Amino acid sequence: MIIKLERVKVQTRKAEEAIDITPQVEELVEKSAVKNGLVNVMTCHTSSGLLVTEGIPCLEEDIFTHFARLLPEGEDYHHRRYLDFDGRMGFNAETHLKSIIGGIQCSFPIENGKMVRGSRQTIYFMEYDGPLERMYLVQLLGE
Amino acid sequence: MIDFHTHPVLIQEFAAKYPDYTRMARDVFQIGNNLQPLETFFLQMDVAGIDKAVLLPIACERARRYAVCSNQQIAELCGMSERFIGFASVDPLKPGAAKELEFAVKSLGLRGLKLDAALQDFDLNDPRVFGVYEAASSLEIPVLVHTGMSWAPGTALTQGQPLLLEKAIRRFSRLKFVLAHWGWPWVWDASALALKYPNVFLDTSCLYYDSPTEFFQFVFSKQVPTTLIERSLRNQIVFGSNYPRIEIKNMVKALKSLALTEACLEKILSKNAEKLLGIQSRPPR
Repeated sequence: MIIKLERVKVQTRKAEEAIDITPQVEELVEKSAVKNGLVNVMTCHTSSGLLVTEGIPCLEEDIFTHFARLLPEGEDYHHRRYLDFDGRMGFNAETHLKSIIGGIQCSFPIENGKMVRGSRQTIYFMEYDGPLERMYLVQLLGE
Repeated sequence: MIDFHTHPVLIQEFAAKYPDYTRMARDVFQIGNNLQPLETFFLQMDVAGIDKAVLLPIACERARRYAVCSNQQIAELCGMSERFIGFASVDPLKPGAAKELEFAVKSLGLRGLKLDAALQDFDLNDPRVFGVYEAASSLEIPVLVHTGMSWAPGTALTQGQPLLLEKAIRRFSRLKFVLAHWGWPWVWDASALALKYPNVFLDTSCLYYDSPTEFFQFVFSKQVPTTLIERSLRNQIVFGSNYPRIEIKNMVKALKSLALTEACLEKILSKNAEKLLGIQSRPPR
């Protein structure tokens, strides 16, 4: 049984951004010694996320538009207060809630050394509160 | 647009280079966010529409063991990008402080003085401090003074009362004083100083509860009227974010949410800072 954990940094460049990380994840699978198993991808942050959907710009736009409708900045959030453990204000509740609703991880099977996914499925790293340097984890499990 | 109030305390490259840098950020400045590459600083400016940022150090070694960045570190960052404008900080109670400031301005190319009585542990009305005001006045640089509440641990609220500065403001009438954080919670005291003395400026880097927009909507329309800014103080206010305690984009959005004219916003976001720093406006394209 092989269990391997890779840490991947990504520099986001906008306040909100959907970054296609499918090629990077597939490359890590192919370079690994895992022939049959599972790959799990997870963001390390609570104001970013991971989503799997069709990789086209109109959908990327729809995701952000409807997240903004569901979680408007003007809503009443308890998080808007000084966080003494962080030395700063917590006024980004809506970005945390987008992360919760959209999810923070995804899994795909590995077969014959390749990641198996539907032809339309794209893995997005979702930035909800950028720009920041972020990190996601890719864990490979199998034989 | 210029951000007049930022602290370069989370730069990854500096954490790798300077052994005490991360401890300073965590224990003295007290910020828990992840360190970021310098590139993130520029990207944060970009998404907020900010062209240049004033970098502020705090020479608080006597009181807190570590300085919140040294003058040399600020100069080093300014050498990496023309988008940075560096201020110096000196301990005003230290012998030779005035000379140190002169060196920072003339040799390191720094363009203002930053003081924080609460973190540096001195009294704003202590005449022993006046030597550095004298030096700043001779050097024709502005002095940005922390006023109001400080989030930094171990600091006394009373050391940030804006009226403590009045004696210095009166005595050094040619020296430009920028009262950081608008003196919150003493926003009327700070406003009154700016109304009375033309050498007093206010920066907008205040956020102590709620979101930036909620806070600005209350403080700058209910606590003090927005018309005070638009009609009386429009030439004496500079935009400051206090990044990285607060992301610049959120503070720009909060400022723009106020019922201010475009002309007034332009002064706050650009022209007043340019005048204070002696920067020439770009000609219209």
